Amino acid sequence: MDILDPLRISLLIATAGTVACVAMGTPVAWAIARSRSSVAAVISGISLLPLVLPPTAVGYYLLWLLGRESPTGRFLLDDLGIQLVFTWPGAAIAAAVVSIPLYIRTAAAGFEQVDEEVLMSARTLVPPWRVFTFVVVPLAWPSLIAASLIAFARCLGEFGATVVVAASIPGKTRSLPAAIYDANLAGNETLAHQLSLAALAIGFVLVSLLTFVLQAAIRRDRP
Amino acid sequence: MTAIDAAIRWHAGDFHLDVALGAGPGVTVLFGPSGSGKSLTLRAVAGLLTPSEGRIAVDGRVVFDSARGLDLPAHARGIGYAGQRPALFPHLSVGGNVAFGIRAGSRADRARTAAAWLARLELPGFEHRRPGSLSGGQAQRVALARALAPGHRVLLLDEPFSALDESLRQGLRQLLADLVQERELAIIFVTHDLREAHLLADQLVVIDRGRVLQAGPRDGVFRAPRHRRVAELLGGTNILAGRVVARAAASLTVSIDGWEAVAASWHGDPQPGDAVDIVIRPERVVIRRGEPAATNTLPARVRREFDYGTNHTLEFEPLGPGPSLLVDLPSRPYDVLGIAAKKDWVLELPPGDVHVMPAAPPFRATTQ
Repeated sequence: MDILDPLRISLLIATAGTVACVAMGTPVAWAIARSRSSVAAVISGISLLPLVLPPTAVGYYLLWLLGRESPTGRFLLDDLGIQLVFTWPGAAIAAAVVSIPLYIRTAAAGFEQVDEEVLMSARTLVPPWRVFTFVVVPLAWPSLIAASLIAFARCLGEFGATVVVAASIPGKTRSLPAAIYDANLAGNETLAHQLSLAALAIGFVLVSLLTFVLQAAIRRDRP
Repeated sequence: MTAIDAAIRWHAGDFHLDVALGAGPGVTVLFGPSGSGKSLTLRAVAGLLTPSEGRIAVDGRVVFDSARGLDLPAHARGIGYAGQRPALFPHLSVGGNVAFGIRAGSRADRARTAAAWLARLELPGFEHRRPGSLSGGQAQRVALARALAPGHRVLLLDEPFSALDESLRQGLRQLLADLVQERELAIIFVTHDLREAHLLADQLVVIDRGRVLQAGPRDGVFRAPRHRRVAELLGGTNILAGRVVARAAASLTVSIDGWEAVAASWHGDPQPGDAVDIVIRPERVVIRRGEPAATNTLPARVRREFDYGTNHTLEFEPLGPGPSLLVDLPSRPYDVLGIAAKKDWVLELPPGDVHVMPAAPPFRATTQ
């Protein structure tokens, strides 16, 4: 076992998981930030659930949902031919589910900062999708980038839910955290140390990027 | 054609908005105290607030009709809007802000149109400036240019000058008046500033606690309020309780605290013996020396005076039977007449400036 395979698989899972967080979490964050309706409040509450559940419980539910026991799993397998359990895309879904509350909270905080009167003026000028694309996103970008980096970091470090859904198959689903766990369990301290150092290096890069983004945002908001 | 024709119902908590509004070409001022529902009405017309019931037509085209389930989005209503703050897009240049809502033409065409509007609003060459580098007056002019640039004929302005200094406000009001003439615009202008309302309004709509109290040509509403609350909101500080003594074809004789006055303006159908409210605007009272005439003169003495710099407000108490009255006088006549030294005067009230309304209890502010 070397460090490159787990590193590659982790980056794959984290990238796909982050893309899923952005795609699904952005509309939810916008709804939570701007809507006063009770539906938005319920969505807000549900979106927090993965944060308070043990990741292994999230993994357990996902395993049921994506496996042959559930109608969705049978539909995916039998009708579409898509196997997600014990694959890296399955691990990416598990990582995204665990990370999405962090993405939504951070992005929603950014959306809440967008001036209501600026939005009202924009709404009288162009259709809602243009308001979102050309006013909201450019004004909330530091929060959206920060949310993506946090989601990426959480996906990268995710262990409990991914290992339940995708297990730890060498070269296929064994991610960095799973590899560290396995190396430690096998008594291979050198490998465990190398893998942990790789995780530390990635973490350092992510934290640096996050700091840079936040600094840029502070500079932009300064009058 | 009526530019705006709206009937709007909406409520939140204890506050109920129930207004009917018509606005033609020129400036229709929506006037009322803070919290009266002016801005909510404007937002409902703009499509920024969904009424629970009602119908709104812009330039003859229905844009909202709760009965038909029709609710056009704000950008599709053909209306320009500017709020209390300029609310410019901080990430775009000034030119980008103004061009943002222009739909027709190439990128270069839109930039040219934006530059032309900026020039018209006395900001030539400002296209490449950043919003953060503008003064308050400049930013508000950019906001006006942004609202006008798509070419809409109907403009909704929600207290657009309220955050500016008086000197800047004056310039912008004049600019707005010129634009109305030049472009044949129909503007609904929200304000709680009485002077601004009087200066800009062709039509005046007085709104209070979610209801339209009175609407019509500006001078008609100012001179002939329907009831006490309208007179109070429009600065009619002399609102007196009285009783009708006699009624002729073109005049009423009313008794106020034992003093009789002839009124040539009234609302409703007052009959002899009816309790009424009488409003006499403080700026319409004439001050003179000499003997009192037979009608509508009241010998009175200055009891207190308030110097506002450009004008004085004098509180007169009657020397015989009659009401105490407040009189507004510009500073120059105040000096020429020597009012600081001489306190006894004859107040003369032209019958056309004595307006009679059905009696109503004085307004008490309630929690909304």
